[in-house]
Amino acid sequence: MKSPDEILKIEGDLLLVLKTVMDPEVELNIVDLGLIYRLEYDGDKKVDIDLTLSTPACPLGDAIIANVNETLKASQPDFEFNVQLVWDPPWTPDQMTEEGRLALEGL
Amino acid sequence: MQGLKTDLAPSKNVVLPHFKYATISFFVLALLMVLSASDLAGHYFQPSILSLTHIAALGWGTMIIFGALYQLIPVIMETALFSERIAKINFWILGTGIFLLIAAFWHFSVNTLLPIAASVVFIGFILFILNITLTAIKATKKNIQTYFIVSASFWLFLTGLLGTLISFNYRFNFMDLSHLHYLKIHAHMGMLGWFLLLIIGVGSLLLPMFFVSHKLNIKKIQFSFFAINGGLTGLTAEWWIFNSSLLTPVFSIIIVIGILSFISYIYDSYKKRMRKSLDTGMKFTVLSISLFLLPIFLGIAASFHLPRDTQLFNRLLMLYGFGFLMGFISSLILGQTYKTLPFIIWLDKYKDLIGKTKTPMPRELYSEKISSIQYWSYVVSIILLSVGIIFSQPLVLKAGSYFLLICAIAYNINIFKILSHKPVKEKSYEKS
Repeated sequence: MKSPDEILKIEGDLLLVLKTVMDPEVELNIVDLGLIYRLEYDGDKKVDIDLTLSTPACPLGDAIIANVNETLKASQPDFEFNVQLVWDPPWTPDQMTEEGRLALEGL
Repeated sequence: MQGLKTDLAPSKNVVLPHFKYATISFFVLALLMVLSASDLAGHYFQPSILSLTHIAALGWGTMIIFGALYQLIPVIMETALFSERIAKINFWILGTGIFLLIAAFWHFSVNTLLPIAASVVFIGFILFILNITLTAIKATKKNIQTYFIVSASFWLFLTGLLGTLISFNYRFNFMDLSHLHYLKIHAHMGMLGWFLLLIIGVGSLLLPMFFVSHKLNIKKIQFSFFAINGGLTGLTAEWWIFNSSLLTPVFSIIIVIGILSFISYIYDSYKKRMRKSLDTGMKFTVLSISLFLLPIFLGIAASFHLPRDTQLFNRLLMLYGFGFLMGFISSLILGQTYKTLPFIIWLDKYKDLIGKTKTPMPRELYSEKISSIQYWSYVVSIILLSVGIIFSQPLVLKAGSYFLLICAIAYNINIFKILSHKPVKEKSYEKS
C-alpha cells in the first residue's frame, strides 16, 4: 500500500500519461479538454477513472475510450483500470483547463 | 460502452460507394458545366440545364447525403440502420437510375428513357425512405433531429413522385397544367423539403459539435421545423391542389422565418465557438450559410413576382436555383466531406492501433494545400457564375465554369487520397 504522497504522485503521473490521448476532431488532449472528471488510485493496483465526452453524439467516443484504456495499460501494465463513461454533469467548455482554452483559441 | 452507440455504425461498404459516386458526379457536373456554361444565360427549362440540375441534386447532393446519413444514423437516432442490405442494393438502383436520368435529359430522350430512368430513381427513393422510416420507428430516442430526417424523407417521396409523374406526362399527357408549373412544385419540395430539412436536422447537431459551442437555444430549431414544414405544406397545396398563388408570399415568408431561425441558431454557435480558427471544412460551412442569404432574398422577391421585367425575372430565377444548389448545398457538402470522410476512414484504418501506437490525425489524411485551392477556386467560380447569370454574359460564365472545374479536380484529388489512405507504418509514428 502506497503513502498518500505516493498515491498523489502516481495519480499525477497517470494524468500526464492521459495528456497524450487526443480528441481526434478537436485535436486537443482529453485532460486539457476537461473530459477527465475523476481519477482515483487505491494505493495498490486499482485505478478508477470517470470520463465524459464533449457531446453524447460524439462519433469518436469509442476511439477515445479505447485510446484511454490502451495508453493507461501501456504505462502501467500491472494496474487494473476501470474506465467509466459518465454524462453527469454534462461537459461544458468551462471544464477546460486554461492551457486547453488557449490552445483551442489558437493563442 | 455505456451510453455510446458508435459500435452501431454501418459497414464502410454501405457508406463509401456513395461518397465515391458523389465525388465523381461533382467532377462530371463541373465538366458538363464547362461544355454548356453559356446555357446558364438562357431559360432553365432546357436539356443541358435539366441535366446539370439533376446531376447536382441527385448524383452529387442526394448521393452523398444518403452515404453520410447511413453513417450518422447511429449518432442521431442511437440505433443501427434498419437494413444494410437494402442500403447496398439501393446504391446500385439509385446509381443506375441517376446515370440514366442524366443521359435522358442530356439527349432529351423524354418519351422512352426519361420515364424509365425516373421510375428507377423513384424506386431508389422508396427503398431509402423505407429504410430510414423503419430505423426511426425502432429508435428508442426520438429527438427533433429524427423528426427532421423523417419529414425530409417524406418530402423526398413527394419530390420523386411528382418528378416521375412529369416524366410520364411527356408521353401520356395526362396532367392538366404546364410542365413549368409542376417543375416549380417539384423543385421546391426537393430544395426546401428534402435538402433543407435534412441539412437543418443533421446540421443542428453536428455544427455546434464542430465549432465546440454549447448552451444553444434548441427552440429555434424546433420552431424551424414547424415553420418550414407548415409553410411548405401550404405552398405545395396551394400550387399543386388549388393551382393558385394568392398566398404564396405568406407561405414564403413563413418558410423564410423558419430558415432565419436556423441561421440564427448556427450564428449563435459560431459566436460562442471555443475553437476560433476554422479548418477548410468549417470555412466552407460558414461560406455556405452566408451564400444561403442570396436564394432566400431572391425567393422572397420571386414570391411577390419581382422584378416585373420578365427577362430579368427569369435570370434571377436561374440565380435562385443556382444559388441554392451550387451555392448553399454544394459549398456545405464540399466542406462537410472533410468533417466526415477522413474520420470514417481513420476509424476503419486505425481502430486496432489506437492507443498502441501513435496514429496520424484524421486531418492528416488529406492535403490542406489542395483543399485551399479547392476553396478559393470555388469562391471565384461562384462569383463569376453569379455575375454571368445576372448579366447574361457567356464569357464570364465560361470562365466561372473553368474555376469550378479546378475546384472539382482539387476536391476529387483530396477525396480519393482519403479513400485510398494506407495505414502509416508504426515506425514513423512510434508513440513518444
